[in-house]
Amino acid sequence: MLSTTSDPRSFNDIIAKETSTTLVTGHIFEGLTTTNAFTTKVEPHLAERWEVSPDGLVWTFYLKEGVVWNDGRPLTADDVVFTFNDLIYNPDIPSSARDIFTIDGKIFKVEKMDDHTVRFTLPVKFAPFLRGMSQPILPQHKLKKAVEDGRFNFTWGIDTAPEKIVGTGPFRLTRYDPGQRLIFERNPFYWKKSEEGDSLPYLDQIVYLIVQNADVELLKFMEGTLDSYSVRGMDYPLLKPLEKDGDFTVYDLGPDMGSQFIFFNQNPGKNPNTGKPFVEPHKLAWFRNAAFRRAVAHAIDKDKIIEIVNNNLGYPQHSPMGPAAGFFHNPHVVHYDYDLEKAREILRGTGFMDKDKDGFLEDEKGNLLEFSFYTNAGNTERMDIAAIIRQDLEGLGMKVNFRALEFNTLVSRLTSTFEWEAVLLGLTGGIEPHFGKNVWMSSGQLHMWYPRQESPATEWEKRIDEIFIQGVQELDEKKRKQLYDEYQLIVSEQLPLIYTILGVKIYAVRNKFGNLKPAPYGEIFHNLEEIYIKEGYK
Amino acid sequence: MLKYILKRFLVAVPMLLGIALLTFVLIRMTPGNYLDTVRLDPQFSQETIAYYEKLYQFDKPLLVQYIQWIKNLLRLELGYSFHYNVPVYRIIGSRLWNTFLLSLAGFLLTWVVAIPLGIWAALHRNQFIDRCIQFFSYVCFSLPSFFLAMLFLFWASQSGALPLGGMYSPGFESLKPWGQLTDILRHLVIPAMALSIGSIAWLQRIMRGNMLEVLGQQYILTARAKGLPENRVIYLHALRNAINPLITLLGYEFSSLLSGAALIEIICSWPGLGSLMLTAVRSKDIYLVMASMLMGGVMFIVGNLLADIGLAKADPRIRYE
Repeated sequence: MLSTTSDPRSFNDIIAKETSTTLVTGHIFEGLTTTNAFTTKVEPHLAERWEVSPDGLVWTFYLKEGVVWNDGRPLTADDVVFTFNDLIYNPDIPSSARDIFTIDGKIFKVEKMDDHTVRFTLPVKFAPFLRGMSQPILPQHKLKKAVEDGRFNFTWGIDTAPEKIVGTGPFRLTRYDPGQRLIFERNPFYWKKSEEGDSLPYLDQIVYLIVQNADVELLKFMEGTLDSYSVRGMDYPLLKPLEKDGDFTVYDLGPDMGSQFIFFNQNPGKNPNTGKPFVEPHKLAWFRNAAFRRAVAHAIDKDKIIEIVNNNLGYPQHSPMGPAAGFFHNPHVVHYDYDLEKAREILRGTGFMDKDKDGFLEDEKGNLLEFSFYTNAGNTERMDIAAIIRQDLEGLGMKVNFRALEFNTLVSRLTSTFEWEAVLLGLTGGIEPHFGKNVWMSSGQLHMWYPRQESPATEWEKRIDEIFIQGVQELDEKKRKQLYDEYQLIVSEQLPLIYTILGVKIYAVRNKFGNLKPAPYGEIFHNLEEIYIKEGYK
Repeated sequence: MLKYILKRFLVAVPMLLGIALLTFVLIRMTPGNYLDTVRLDPQFSQETIAYYEKLYQFDKPLLVQYIQWIKNLLRLELGYSFHYNVPVYRIIGSRLWNTFLLSLAGFLLTWVVAIPLGIWAALHRNQFIDRCIQFFSYVCFSLPSFFLAMLFLFWASQSGALPLGGMYSPGFESLKPWGQLTDILRHLVIPAMALSIGSIAWLQRIMRGNMLEVLGQQYILTARAKGLPENRVIYLHALRNAINPLITLLGYEFSSLLSGAALIEIICSWPGLGSLMLTAVRSKDIYLVMASMLMGGVMFIVGNLLADIGLAKADPRIRYE
């Protein structure tokens, strides 16, 4: 018995991609490849093996024999071709997968060679290709008609009868009570066998309770209804001593993916209607000065944030690819330790002084060092971090006008009106650096400090653009890592985003499961099909 | 009377359209739209976002969007939810019923307990029992309902006497009808109690006040002087007059049946409308919000009408022509 915080949006993996949906679809559908939960390396899954042409453009996948959909029909190359050509590349179906599998406006050619062989021909070399092939494959025999009738966007919504949702995964959905629970049962046709030759999965049933309130979730875990609980920093001191009596184990899986960072507006543009610059010119000069940003980085007390916000459970973040990114994480970037003296020195070196002795700094021309600082209301963790940062910066002599904005207001300021000065925000991360291109390439719409540049505004932004263009075409993993290491180093030197802390992934899991192998990337139940319930437990 | 009811329903139509327009304008006046979350997702390209914008008609002027919605409404279509990608009525249906059930339970509990309690307190005015009731009323009234719900849940988790939230147990389908009913009732206890305790405290005080006022009237003195038995004086003459203002309240309470339980629903994992709407408003899933506002409007109008009719039945001085 597990839990989730919100209802799924859909059972249609192409249409909806956020976690409440993938939690469900992840049990039902599978891709040609998968990511190893320990090493983050790509491994074969529905495809038994693959070959690649010497130029890296033609990939041939050989599907496993004997894989069947959970309604008993065999999986064939037609399903793979259908998933790409008729779903992902269908212009009438909105899907973020299309953005991943489109390079410079060109799509992949996907052809069936025989029943168990599929060939992908790429327009250019594309390093994240294999990882991208974890894209779930959907059944042609179930969905073809819906696509032909133009109904696909509304197919497999949350009002669909569960038995109509057909996948190859270890479990199938048998019941969904909105707002209450999701029930999965064992897929009797599942292809995977254990090392001893048993048919997997072992578990007969998984129940997810939909519990919106984390405190209630905790109560339910303590009471024994739930078998696993994602521990918040504040719960840790409560749960850890209870491990023995409660017959559960607390697993610490290291830093999580999400990041929290503060950044300054470096956009030199003007509002097209009023002609007013987005940022006042003297402030823009500060924000575009890397030394100013470094001073800010030195003034942020990451340890204090970890102590206060996360109850001492957290890690300082230095690089855009955190340790959770595994292979591509570069630990050798510039670290900014909390050092107010150094921060003051840097500020003095750039001409900031408290000339009128009012406790606040002024720049060379006498402008008060003052700026507005936003974050989104409703995210308590972020609000707490913002409060600490504000305190730290004021201690340095900056006048920080903090305001919590409604999420939508903040987004429209960041993406369309550009009227902001400093913002604290978070983004989800991943293990594939290329998927951050909308943030890091100067033309990206999420290049938030100065989005959608026509040509890179600075030398270092130009270099990052080059790295991303080269990196996506570099098939040698080692050389690729070198490139992305350099990008992480540049970011840590230039600090367009000033990182704060990473949270932790801590789970409390009841000691009833056998074969449980928690892993930093795959988390607790990545090998759910191999997990069984130990004797003596229900 | 019938003519009056008919007239009220006719007036209701423009009123509902007004509610819809106001909701629509208000929600669109706040900055941003449903796509803002998508905009901050690194995996979405500019083109895909533009595609969505067109699909959801965010590029059209406000008035065009509103007229389109009204047109659909006349065909009894409430539109699609952006978030769930299915027609709004498919999501709302079951949740509407769940919220209604919970609120009705809270509502009944409130009235069944508060009215007698108020009368009892009034009859023992300033005696020990009255003081006790008033003291606990103050306490209960000042406790927020979600906190009470949390307390109850904590108690339930310690004692194991009642289920911890949700609406029915796993395996509900295999129970006999009687078992199903008790299962739901068991799940109802905590949220309904949390929902009604504050209202009981409040309603009880109103009932007590009304009763005391009526008991001080001269016609009660007359009735007593006539030698009528005390029971008859209180339950026939006094009560009928004291309860009049409460009938109006009943109407208002009825109208809040669908909207008053959001917090409790979230804490008790009750699969109702409130929690759904909260996420819908926050993510600006506009048609889902509109549908719920419309539903709230209908309840309000019906509630008021019921109150007016009830009032006319109870008080012969009130007549509608």
